Amino acid sequence: MFETLKKLKYGARVLLSRSGGQPETITVNGRPTVLMHAGEGPPFVYLHSSLGESLMWLPFYQAWAKQFRVLVPTHPGFGKSGGFEQIDTIEDVAFHYVELFDALGLDEVILGGVSLGGWIAAEFAVRWPERVKKLFLCNAPGLWTDDAALGDLFRVMYDRRALRRMLFHDPDGHMARLVIQDEPDEEKLLAAYQNMTALARLVWDRPYDPKLAGRLHRVQCPTLLLWGAHDQLVPPAFGEAYHKHLPHAQMKLIADCGHLPMFEKEQEFVETIANFCKE
Amino acid sequence: MQYFFFHLMPWPHLPADFDQKYDSAWIWLPNSLYDPVKGHDLYREYIDTLASVEDLGFDGVCVNEHHQNAYGLMPSPNLIASALIQRTRHCKIAVIGNALPMYNPPTRVAEEYAMLDVMSGGRLIAGMVLGGGPEYYSYQMNPTHARERFREALDLVVKAWTTPGPFTWHSKHYFLRYVNPWPRPLQQPHPPIWIPGAGSLETVEFVAQRRYAYMGLPFFHIDVSRRMYDGFREACRKAGYTAKPEQMGWGITTYVAETDRQAREEFEPHFWYFARNLLKGITMAPPGYMTPRSAAAAFKNRGKFLYGGDKTWKDVEEGVYAIVGSPQTVIQKINHYRKELGVGVCLTGSGIGSMPHHLARKGLQMFSREVLPHVRDEAPTV
Repeated sequence: MFETLKKLKYGARVLLSRSGGQPETITVNGRPTVLMHAGEGPPFVYLHSSLGESLMWLPFYQAWAKQFRVLVPTHPGFGKSGGFEQIDTIEDVAFHYVELFDALGLDEVILGGVSLGGWIAAEFAVRWPERVKKLFLCNAPGLWTDDAALGDLFRVMYDRRALRRMLFHDPDGHMARLVIQDEPDEEKLLAAYQNMTALARLVWDRPYDPKLAGRLHRVQCPTLLLWGAHDQLVPPAFGEAYHKHLPHAQMKLIADCGHLPMFEKEQEFVETIANFCKE
Repeated sequence: MQYFFFHLMPWPHLPADFDQKYDSAWIWLPNSLYDPVKGHDLYREYIDTLASVEDLGFDGVCVNEHHQNAYGLMPSPNLIASALIQRTRHCKIAVIGNALPMYNPPTRVAEEYAMLDVMSGGRLIAGMVLGGGPEYYSYQMNPTHARERFREALDLVVKAWTTPGPFTWHSKHYFLRYVNPWPRPLQQPHPPIWIPGAGSLETVEFVAQRRYAYMGLPFFHIDVSRRMYDGFREACRKAGYTAKPEQMGWGITTYVAETDRQAREEFEPHFWYFARNLLKGITMAPPGYMTPRSAAAAFKNRGKFLYGGDKTWKDVEEGVYAIVGSPQTVIQKINHYRKELGVGVCLTGSGIGSMPHHLARKGLQMFSREVLPHVRDEAPTV
C-alpha cells in the first residue's frame, strides 16, 4: 500500500498499448514523449544517439525484443518529442527519464545507449544507481580525457562526406551512405537540423560533465563499455576513462567500426549487448 | 537620406593559396596568418580613413564586432569607436553593434555605450546584435539560447539606461542583485538603437515590434533586400504603425571612379578577394541559431548570397551586390534602389577586401564630391 502511494505521488501512471514497436506519445510531467516498445521480459531501455535511430522500430530493437521488454523513448526536443523548452542540460534529461520511469512504473531497468544516449544513461545511473540493473554505454561522451581529442560534430555537420568520415570507419559503405545521404530532401535536412539543435542545447557549452568522473563510483551494477575501435568523434580513450572510474565495468572494442556500431556492426552490437544483459 | 561610412577593417594579406588551403576565414583560420606589424599599419590607415569621412559630408561612421576571423578586425568595436570620438567632432558614431549574448553580464554594454555616448557628447548610435553564427563557435556560446539571451540582454540594457538604479534583475539567463551602471547615457531616454539583420524573420519582426531601426546587411541579392524591407514594413503595420524611412538602413558597397570601366578595374579584384576569401565560412550557422522556419528560408535563399556558386561580375551587377561605376552610374543606381526599397539610411563603404588605402580614399572623395550631393533628397516614394 505504501509503495503504491509512493508511486502515485510522482504523478499519474501511464498505460501503454500492446502494439509492438509502434510509436506512441505519452506525457511526462507536461512533456509529450514519443515511445516505442515491444517484447516481454526484464525492462530494457535504449537511449538513442542524435543520428535518428529512434525514428523507427529498427531490426536491432526487434532482436532484443525476443528476450527483453524493449523500450525506446525519444529524448525531449528530438524527433516528435516535445518539452525542449524545459530542457537545458544533460541533468535535465536524466530527471526527465526518472519521471518517465516513474510514470511507467519501472522500478529497475537495464539501461544503456549509444553516444549521447550513453552519456544520459551514465548521468541517470550516478543519480539513481538502485534503479539500474545493468548499464551499457557505447561510444559515449560525458568525460574529459587528455589522451585523445573529442571530435567536433558541429564543425562538419554541413559537409556530408566529412560527416561520414567522422562517424563511420568505412565512409563509403552501404550503411554510411544510407544514414548520411549525399542529397537529403528538405524535410530530412530540417529534421536533422532539429536534432542537432536539441543536441547543441545539451552539449554545446561543454561536451562533457566535469562532475561525472567523481560520481561514477556510485554505479554499483555491472557495466559494459562497448566501443567502435575507430571512433573518431568519441575515441575509445573516452571508454577507457569510464573504465577507470566505474567499479564493475568491462570494456569491449568492435573492430572495423566507427562511432555508430548499431549501424556499422549491427550484429556484433546486438549480440554483445544481449549477452551482457542476460548474464 | 542619411549616409554612413561603414568599415569592416578586413585583413588584406591572406596568402594567394588561401582558397585551396583553408576551408574558412573564420573561427579556426590559424592566427599565425595575422602579422601584428602589418596590423599596426592597418589600424592606423583604417582609422584615418574612417575619421576623414566627417569632412567629406557623411552623417556618420559605422563599426562592428566580429571574433576570430580575417573578415573584420574589430573584436571590440567600442575601442575603435573610442578612438574615432577623439578624431571627429560632429558625426554620429554608429557601433552596429555589440553582440549582446557574448557579454556577461550584459550591463557591460550599458556601461561602455554610456561611456561612448558621454565622451562623444551624445553622438553614439547603439547597435545591438545577435552576433554572427561563427561567433557562437568562437566564444563557445550556446546557439540554442542565442535569441533568448539577446532579448533578455537588450531588455536589461535598456532598463539599465531608463530606470534609476539600483534595481534587481532576474530573467532566465541573467541575475544581477544591483543594476546601477555609472555613467548613464547623455542622450535621453537612451541612444538610438539600431539592429542589424540578415533578413531572418525573427529579427525583422522583433525590431518592428520594438520600433527600433533595422539595418539590412549587405552581400545579398537585391531580391532579398526587397523582401527584407517589405517584410519590415509589413511587420510594422501589424504592430500598428507605419515604418519610418529612418528605421530602415540599407547596407550596400559602392565604388566611384572617373568612368564605369576604370571603377570596375580598380574595384573588382579587391571585391573578389573579399567575396571569395573573407566571406568563406561566414554562413557557418550553428544548430539552433535559427529556428527551423528561418533555417528553411536560408536554405532556399542560399543562391542569393554573395559567397558561393562561382558568381561572376554579371551576377554582381544584376543582383546589385555592389554599386560601382562613374558618378553618373552610381547616382542613378543609388537613387533608383533607395527609392524602390524605401530606405532612409544608407550604410556604404569602399574599403572592401584587399583594396589599397589610396584607392579607397580616392573612391570616397569622389563619392563625397560627385555623388553625395545628388542622392540626398528626402521622401523616398514607397
